[in-house]
Amino acid sequence: MKNDLNIVGKRVARSDSLAKVTGEARYTSDIKLPNMLVGKVLRSPYPHARIIRIDLSQALKVPGVKAAISGFDAYGIKWGVFRYTQDHAMLPTDKVRYIGEDVAAVAAVDEETALAALSYIKVDYEPLPAVFDPIESMKDGAPQIHKEYKNNINIHIHIDVGEVDKAMENAFLVREDTFKAAGEAYAMMEPYAVVASYKNGFLDLWMPNAGPHVRAKALSNLLKMPLNKVRVRHINSGGAFGGRSEVAPADLVASLLSIKADRPVKLTHSREENATSSRQIHDIIATVKTGMKKDGTIVAKDYKVIYNGGAYSSTGPIATSIPFYVYEECYRFPNVRYNGYRVFTNKGIRGMYGCHGRAFLAGNEAQMDLMAKELGMDPAEIRLKNGLKPGEMTATKSKITSCGLKETIEAASEKTDFKKRWARTTRFKGIGMGCVAIMCGFPMGFRSGSSCYVKINDDGQVTLVSGLVDNGQGNESMLIQVASEVLGVPMEDINLICADTEVTNLDPGSYSQAAAFVGANAVKAACENARKRIVAIAAEKLGVKEADIGLKDRMAYFVKEPDKKMPISWVVREAFFRGEPIVATGSFFPNIDFEREWVSRPWGQMAGTFSFGTSVAEVVIDPETGKVTVPRFTAAHDCGHPINPMAVEGQMEGSILQAGVATVTEGNLWDEGYLLNPDLLEYKVPLACDMPDMETIIVSSHDPAGPFGAKEGGLTVRMNAYSAVACAVTNATGELFEELPLTPDRMLRLLERKKGVK
Amino acid sequence: MILPRFEYKKVQSIASAIALYKKHKGKVRYLAGGTDLVPLLKLRLATPAVVIDLKGIEELKTISRHGGWLAIGANVTLFDLKNDPAVKEYFPALYESLDATSCETLQMRGTIGGNILQDVRCLQYNKSMEWRTARGFCFKMGGKTCNVVPNAKTCFANYCSDNAPALITLSAKARLSGPGGERTIKLEKIFNGAGRRPFALEAGEILTRILIPLKKTKGAYEKLRVRDSMDYPLVGVAVSVADGKVRACVGGIGPEPRVYDLKSANDGAVNEAADKAYTDARPASNTVLSAAYRKKMVPVLLKRAVKKVMQGGK
Amino acid sequence: MKTMKVTLQVNNEKVDLQVRPYETLLETLRDRLDLTGAKEACGMGACGACTVVVNGVPLRSCLVLTPEVDGAEITTVEGLKKDKKLHPLQEAFMEKGAVQCGFCTSGMLMTAKALLDRNKKPTKKEIVRTISSNICRCTGYKKIIEAVEAAAKR
Repeated sequence: MKNDLNIVGKRVARSDSLAKVTGEARYTSDIKLPNMLVGKVLRSPYPHARIIRIDLSQALKVPGVKAAISGFDAYGIKWGVFRYTQDHAMLPTDKVRYIGEDVAAVAAVDEETALAALSYIKVDYEPLPAVFDPIESMKDGAPQIHKEYKNNINIHIHIDVGEVDKAMENAFLVREDTFKAAGEAYAMMEPYAVVASYKNGFLDLWMPNAGPHVRAKALSNLLKMPLNKVRVRHINSGGAFGGRSEVAPADLVASLLSIKADRPVKLTHSREENATSSRQIHDIIATVKTGMKKDGTIVAKDYKVIYNGGAYSSTGPIATSIPFYVYEECYRFPNVRYNGYRVFTNKGIRGMYGCHGRAFLAGNEAQMDLMAKELGMDPAEIRLKNGLKPGEMTATKSKITSCGLKETIEAASEKTDFKKRWARTTRFKGIGMGCVAIMCGFPMGFRSGSSCYVKINDDGQVTLVSGLVDNGQGNESMLIQVASEVLGVPMEDINLICADTEVTNLDPGSYSQAAAFVGANAVKAACENARKRIVAIAAEKLGVKEADIGLKDRMAYFVKEPDKKMPISWVVREAFFRGEPIVATGSFFPNIDFEREWVSRPWGQMAGTFSFGTSVAEVVIDPETGKVTVPRFTAAHDCGHPINPMAVEGQMEGSILQAGVATVTEGNLWDEGYLLNPDLLEYKVPLACDMPDMETIIVSSHDPAGPFGAKEGGLTVRMNAYSAVACAVTNATGELFEELPLTPDRMLRLLERKKGVK
Repeated sequence: MILPRFEYKKVQSIASAIALYKKHKGKVRYLAGGTDLVPLLKLRLATPAVVIDLKGIEELKTISRHGGWLAIGANVTLFDLKNDPAVKEYFPALYESLDATSCETLQMRGTIGGNILQDVRCLQYNKSMEWRTARGFCFKMGGKTCNVVPNAKTCFANYCSDNAPALITLSAKARLSGPGGERTIKLEKIFNGAGRRPFALEAGEILTRILIPLKKTKGAYEKLRVRDSMDYPLVGVAVSVADGKVRACVGGIGPEPRVYDLKSANDGAVNEAADKAYTDARPASNTVLSAAYRKKMVPVLLKRAVKKVMQGGK
Repeated sequence: MKTMKVTLQVNNEKVDLQVRPYETLLETLRDRLDLTGAKEACGMGACGACTVVVNGVPLRSCLVLTPEVDGAEITTVEGLKKDKKLHPLQEAFMEKGAVQCGFCTSGMLMTAKALLDRNKKPTKKEIVRTISSNICRCTGYKKIIEAVEAAAKR
């Protein structure tokens, strides 16, 4: 099968790129509806304060203002991704919990009027003591941010497999280190925006999102509206990276304003609001204790990881778990204990991130290198020794099916001459390796599967309907490519309708790495069902067996005598004649243990399959200034069989920026509750001139359950690139990092520590 | 982010700009490339009644040589100046500082006058009105404290022009026109050391020209930044050598650049200047890198720049 | 406040407009002319997503007041096509996979267009330097650089 593919596996131009290069692709803030108003939000100036009173009356008197709302106009419902995390009202009525939190809003005829009106909203606050540091926040007597969570501990994930203490006692080598990392900014290029249009009892919404169906569900709950009346519509998304997975306060705000004003409302965040008030990324303190045998076998891991969660739960249980899982899915841990704490503080809400967990993952990998060195082993050797193999179980009982970890380590090593270069220690130059595995999806109950509906139109063109959403990574094009392969029609003959909750069916969304494995599999299933119908008619008409019919270039043909053929459009018309048009559905539901739960039952099959990857970074450190540069970066990724290798490479290259070079540049800076770099100038997204020479290696394997053998494409690099950079720094200096990012000031301290300078 | 209300006037001559300044009783801001001013307007850090666009003044757009001087009109863009053959040939420190300024697109819009007269910067200052209101106003916003250094009596904002330090090492002069007439002063004299209002210009004065003695120099500019494009200097050190005289200038720390005339280019003199520059530097925690680190980098970059000049032979 | 009359030549079409004196070119293009290809990503000139070409020079339209460019010739991404045919840069961006989320794309294209207009055969180093004026969060820039190189060869 694999070798007969016509289009899957080819480097095709993405279906969405024409609209994007001509400027025609519409994003939320480009939408203009008749009578549309502009919404603006009044935000909390306090990190923690009781709301005494909110008076909107004066704002409503400003000419041009058509609506004003606060949390008192909502229904007092708190949203949570889980039943046990329902703590976010979106618009608080009790107290504000971070600077920049949404408090009230207006809708007016233009932005100038809306801005002016905000100053007429009167809010009385009673400031409360605030806490910003998670360690302080966990102490007795610290200000309580939510009364439901004692010591501000939002989530505690406790995993204990085997006998960790005993294994540590018997280990030949034990080492414990603590690593920190600043939270990053998503810095997606599109600032968050929502258009809400309420008409005749229906609420239509457009916003960049990573899962329209869960978004609609959340809003239907918050607004007490039936789900069929809340319609999240398709729109292009200017990047998400995990930051647009959940319902946002702005969604509720725009909806309430539109309902109140009875007019469409557009709410666009400024860059600063996008940073302070949409989502941020967890800062992490990870204590990693590792026990090894003399031969380098890891016998035990003991973890304590503290995640600064900001003011609300968000995807808390998931965020508190993922760094651990992507690591235990990569390596064999016979005994492992993980205590992950997500702690509330008076900072902005922290969400999941494509590169989530850098302190933990880079810490583990860099520590492993030092321990291996002590045992006379190199990084590739120790990774190969401890890496999981096909057919093995992870510590928390997920079975690994296809697994190209070994191949990625070998490919990346060979390409970089890793072993030799690692052993030859040149002053201030280093090379390092990072590995990780990624689950393609995770348990989301009945939302874990995807369904697709396909119809073949009278000229043989195809309409494809899928709930999958594209945040820029190329999901739309991927689905079209898969359908094109199955149905034998070119990509341009396929129209995709996706991510519109009125039309499309449930899909897990594009934040759990399930898009290719689950979403594309559903499209493949639907198209195969349609194909069966086409083949049946064509076989009958051509007088051959169904098994001998092929579909290609808009034709159905006899595989043994390709000249014997007929256009697919004729087959379709024949089907119409018979009163049985070619329409089909198809679904895919991954093989997951649905008893598995993040907190209460953290074991069982996590996902249908796992991808694997190895990154190798080369660094040069300026000994005088401490500036770290990354001249070369090599990433090898087992993504199964790539559907569009060019798109996979693009994901890998983007990940080298966002996780790799970001290791030396990116981090949010704070002065207590004030975010000091909520912009694109002082938050350092690497520029073209900061990027290394990049080599991406797709280790093509074939996943038995993936669509055409595919798994997720690119995320491994997003979760091992920082490890490679941190390990390269360890290789160059012999020291472990203390805190990321490795800005020149931190790097210089590391060098001085080595020299013993105080 | 929308701009606050103001009137826009475009002028064709310096005289009419000054006349407008007087007419509006000083509630104006002069606009050149706008790459510094427009963000300040958007953040409501500048709230003029009138913005006077100087780009229509033809005489400010030229680079000319006369009387042993290179005269650079204030409206010459950084990009055009960088590509002027005289700059590359005579003033390598300036060439390097121009090349290191921001990014190419902004070099094409930003002017040398605007670059020199850019306002000082601070992580707690260049923020929206909402952000600053939540934080509380500092000295520079008309408040009574510094939000970076507790109990400070002064403002620690940083002067972040890459090019003023380079020009100072070249003994450049500034030509100014204002309601009180014209004057020419040493470039280093346009600073008053006060972060709140960092320039010693008279009310309504316009920087019209930069004058540089037209003689060949050797020079270099060393800039510390996180990214190699777009970023302002966290420390910037320019060094020029003319007629055997070595001059260094440190920018990016505090509200004015500091000048050091070295006795010679030998190690002793360089070390002495580097030590002095280190002692003089008073950085605060108002940039993305720590204050102690930036202080430490002053002598490092100074020595590096001198070394580069002496070895590179530029 | 009084509006001002300006005349712009936008994508080869003359337009007369009444604009606010404190209106940015980006606002004029997006809100008055419905040319929404240029994006506001930071609004402060720090990212380049709003770049358009004004009299041959790439400008960050969020930092420019519309009255400043009265009389100017402006090309936006919507005006990049010639005779309904894609510009070589547009073709190359598609073919090389230089487009992901697309939000930086129009600014990137216009920055690259201005480069190719003034320098027909830029070196890779020159391309890198030029596009270091723009932020892309998705691609890591490699395929963008390749696309500009490919377009320069056409």
